[in-house]
Amino acid sequence: MNNWKIAGLAGAGIAVTGTLYGKLAMHHGLHVFSYGEYPSLIRGGHNTMQVTTGEHDITTQQKILDVLIALNADGITLHKDELDDKSVILVDKSQVKLDWDKEKLSGTLIDLPMYPISLEVTGSGLSANMVALGASCYLMGFDITILHHLIKETFGKKGEEIVTKNELAATKGYEYVKARHLTAKQNVKVQQVDQIYLSGNEAVGLGALAGGIQFYAAYPMTPASSLLEFLADAQKKYPILVKHSEDEIGAINQVIGASYAGARAMTGTSGGGFALMVEGLSLAAITELPLVIMDGQRPGPATGLPTWTTQADLQFVLHAGHGEFKKIVLAPGDIEECFTMTKLAFILAEQWQTQVYLLTDKYLIESSMSVPTFKDKYSNIRYNIGVDLPEDDTYKRYVLTDSGHSLRSVPGTPHGLSLTNSYEHDEYGYATEEAAMSMAQIDKRLKKLDNISSYLPKSILYGPQTADITFVCWGSTKLVMQHAINLLNQTKKDTANFIQLGCLAPFDSSEFMELAQKAKRLVMIEGNALHQAESLIREHTGLEFKERLNRYDGRPFYAEDIVSYITGGTK
Amino acid sequence: MNLRTPIFPTWCPGCGDFGIWGALKMAITELNIPEEKLVVVFDVGCSGNMADFIRVYGFHALHGRSIPVAEGIAMANHDLTVIVVGGDGGLYGEGMGHFIAAAKTNVNITVLVHNNQTYGLTKGQASPTTMEGVITGSTPFGVIEHPVNPLGIALTAGATWVGRSYAANIPLTKDLIVKAVKHDGFSHLDIFQPCTTFNKLNTQAWFIEHLGQLPTDYVPNSKLKAWEQSEREDKYPIGIFYETNKVLPFHKRLPNLDKGTLISQFPTSVDLTAAMSEFK
Ligand SMILES: Cc1ncc(C[n+]2csc(CCOP(=O)(O)OP(=O)(O)O)c2C)c(N)n1
Ligand code: SF4
Repeated sequence: MNNWKIAGLAGAGIAVTGTLYGKLAMHHGLHVFSYGEYPSLIRGGHNTMQVTTGEHDITTQQKILDVLIALNADGITLHKDELDDKSVILVDKSQVKLDWDKEKLSGTLIDLPMYPISLEVTGSGLSANMVALGASCYLMGFDITILHHLIKETFGKKGEEIVTKNELAATKGYEYVKARHLTAKQNVKVQQVDQIYLSGNEAVGLGALAGGIQFYAAYPMTPASSLLEFLADAQKKYPILVKHSEDEIGAINQVIGASYAGARAMTGTSGGGFALMVEGLSLAAITELPLVIMDGQRPGPATGLPTWTTQADLQFVLHAGHGEFKKIVLAPGDIEECFTMTKLAFILAEQWQTQVYLLTDKYLIESSMSVPTFKDKYSNIRYNIGVDLPEDDTYKRYVLTDSGHSLRSVPGTPHGLSLTNSYEHDEYGYATEEAAMSMAQIDKRLKKLDNISSYLPKSILYGPQTADITFVCWGSTKLVMQHAINLLNQTKKDTANFIQLGCLAPFDSSEFMELAQKAKRLVMIEGNALHQAESLIREHTGLEFKERLNRYDGRPFYAEDIVSYITGGTK
Repeated sequence: MNLRTPIFPTWCPGCGDFGIWGALKMAITELNIPEEKLVVVFDVGCSGNMADFIRVYGFHALHGRSIPVAEGIAMANHDLTVIVVGGDGGLYGEGMGHFIAAAKTNVNITVLVHNNQTYGLTKGQASPTTMEGVITGSTPFGVIEHPVNPLGIALTAGATWVGRSYAANIPLTKDLIVKAVKHDGFSHLDIFQPCTTFNKLNTQAWFIEHLGQLPTDYVPNSKLKAWEQSEREDKYPIGIFYETNKVLPFHKRLPNLDKGTLISQFPTSVDLTAAMSEFK
């Protein structure tokens, strides 16, 4: 396993360098996970991109770095405690002013003239990051021709000259470190592994396409904006319509309108935007319209920490919407689940005429990972939409049935005229204040999800069947837990396993308890201060956790911290 | 065309909603659209209560949010005729942002505003069009602001058809609704309407005195002239203020809708190869 990081000012090309490095590793057959940190600024401010690679089980970032590329002084000083004896630090001393004698740094420092080389080969300093990338390529034992190929792919649109300059800058960086007789950190042979490298948002977008999305309306908000942009771009290749709405209230109501008209529709946002959508959720509930909605969590209250991560919207999402109604809340735990659960969300929403949430977070949807290439072909069918309706106009949109389900009629369908009503309504949709009918319609809506559990993602136990410690997590924490239990079990067999809650509503207590009952020592781990999933579990099962790990400083958990919690007993 | 529902209107006697209701039904009949191809989205208010009194594909939305629902419908299926029915409170107050955005988008919907210059359903508080000085439940010292000029806002925001009518003039209202619906783009018809219960200023008698005509030689092709007319307060002209077909409606500007409506392109089969290529 190898851990590489580039750190510097926003605007220095950190993200593109990280992506290229990740793809470079993937093209050698390695597994890749990348995690970036950045402030809510466009220029200036400290940005990092960290890429972890290895032959298997790479699901999260690690603390200790094998290679650190520091593009400025902060790139060194803020990351000192991520270095050890084996770390290599690439820094351009002509650019980074530090009192080098006083800086006590672990590892080997290499003065790599990124800026002068870039200036020499391109006439500007803009390719300094490519010099660093070339040097990394050598240090990690990667093949420079593959890097050239990736540079061509990435910058091809900008023209031949840019490609050549960047290739040359990379080659010079590669040769510079090679000439200093540094040994490569690993010996990799190129292996053909059929993988794609993508972010959680991109996986959600692909899942939406596979699930037949037709309409997406949203207002930009970190960390959900890149989903809007991914789908907007997909309009060039797929028969979908993406609307950047005037605000989140507009977005949710447009989505509801499109859904009513028969389009598979979705919106995505983060906490603040989601708050604005809440009245619309209630409208979707009473009108029984399918709705798929992603909340990409970031820390609040209010504008909070816009570019950081959290799991603090759970109870808000569970309870969002006035009046009583049920919803499905799915919490993808990795990139593949972003794909599969989004696809599933569209089917569930239409089949059960209900709203399905994808509760994600910044850590999950803005991190990228290599995963086996998704299957390319998907087929979709429609559910619960009336086609040949009775010619005598006796169709009733909200007919009371034992199951609570009723056929939806889409405008354009003959004999399907009915009222879709935000008011409580009778079977035709006309407003009613009559007590018995009001209660019957509420019951209809509540009971329609009664038998849904077998269609929903299950709680899953990862790791050994029995272990000394069983963690319980949800959402993105799965990424970290996978690595944490590996570390723990490597040291001592059967130390830890974990349960991932895949579906938070409706909550299947018996399924969860079946796994939890076998645990010898239960530890809840989640990214919020008020123990939100823990409360949810207690509400449904009565189970009281005696131990818990909570993090709510905007950062994801680190496997190393979880290990030291267990081995050192403190957080 | 059977536009009747089993429910008889619950509006107060003399309410202008009756006139607009009648005019709308006449317009629908005259337009002769197949009944399944028409959707009316109702806002929440006395005006929106029409949802129960007219047999159409209806959507009774949230207060102030009828326009974005209508937009979503029109975007998903531009073969439908989509009409919004709402009050001045919902459409110029709570939902003013959506009104402006929809006009800018020039999505092909027709917005009918029952402008009774009050919040009818919540019992007479001031609305954005209530006149200065009027004492209401929420303005005990009289409204201190000058009312908005909704036609001016529509023009500025980019509406491509803007008109005003008066509820008691049913033939004119019917005519203007027909024209507004036939217009390919965002059309906005503001309809003055007495609220017999709560608006004691803008009564039938007041309207007879204050309504006027557009100049006899008026041609509704200039935004500036239309705006000038919309600002008049000596007399409030009725008629078509502005119309243009130079701006393409939303659905004609998107290549993805050239092949047909969005809903007609349901992806029964999807190939992700193209979307995944950038992740290789
Ligand atoms: C979000 C929200 N806020 C407030 C209300 C209460 N409300 C219902 S109708 C209405 C105003 C009605 O005035 P207008 O839109 O002008 O319609 P009118 O009744 O005059 O036809 C209000 C404030 C509501 N239903 N929803
Ligand atoms: S309160 Fe006014 S607007 Fe409402 S029904 Fe009565 S008269 Fe009409």
